Amino acid sequence: MPDQSHVGRRYSAPGQVIDGQRAAQMAAAIAGSDPVAEPGAVPPTFAAVYCLAPTLGQLFGDPEVGINLAGLIHGEQTFEWPVPVRPGDVVDSTAEIVSVEEKRGMTFVGLTVESIRPADGAVVCRGRDLMIIRGGAGS
Amino acid sequence: MTAPALSSLRAGEDLDPLTRTVDQAQIDAYAEASGDFNPIHVNPDFALAVGLPGTIAHGLLEMGILADAISRWAGGSQTLQSLECRFSKPLVAGDGITCTGKVVAVDDGEKTATLEVEATSSRGERVLTNGRAIVRLSQ
Repeated sequence: MPDQSHVGRRYSAPGQVIDGQRAAQMAAAIAGSDPVAEPGAVPPTFAAVYCLAPTLGQLFGDPEVGINLAGLIHGEQTFEWPVPVRPGDVVDSTAEIVSVEEKRGMTFVGLTVESIRPADGAVVCRGRDLMIIRGGAGS
Repeated sequence: MTAPALSSLRAGEDLDPLTRTVDQAQIDAYAEASGDFNPIHVNPDFALAVGLPGTIAHGLLEMGILADAISRWAGGSQTLQSLECRFSKPLVAGDGITCTGKVVAVDDGEKTATLEVEATSSRGERVLTNGRAIVRLSQ
């Protein structure tokens, strides 16, 4: 299980290509039976694909942290998009564990995430995540 | 798109509410687009076995619908500067989600508006809480 010793641990996922087709697929999935409002635009929460998945995926598979995926809940999410990302952009994504707390038999893991477009140095997304793992130490 | 006259936007103004029924097909489409095939989202038998009333939507699908509601109201997804929320209760497949919000501050210098936003399920549960968004105002 995650503990204080994991604070500061970083995960890097350079070279994430913004796939316009997949962004369109996500826009359609979000719209459901409604028409997509802006065909061709990258939905803001596509950050799930270029920022969160490639970095947090490494955390979830990190044997030294040992997160119990069966008990994992996404608790809170903050995203900032200082500059909009476009299809074809390439971004370098990182995540860092900034806090680990035990409360009420659960483990709360706080992370910061960031995606930077090296072509112009723009931060296209930065965020904070709170992951909650049920069945913490002692339970 | 019914964008408000942003130059005349005032605190207290309501976000146009947006309601969608999120069925299993929509959750499956989001799983495809995001790459998150966690069985609590896509496998009804598994979801029931772990004590859920059914499969549940991805938190980031709900957040994507909330971002869509704000983007449609504000005149485009590129107006969305930041969005944060807490995933308080699960949204069960087949349930409706309604996104609402209110402008709480307008910053003429930064040309931004801050909204408090949330989402409620058709079961009457507040599924997304502590929501806050900042949108960029044109002019």
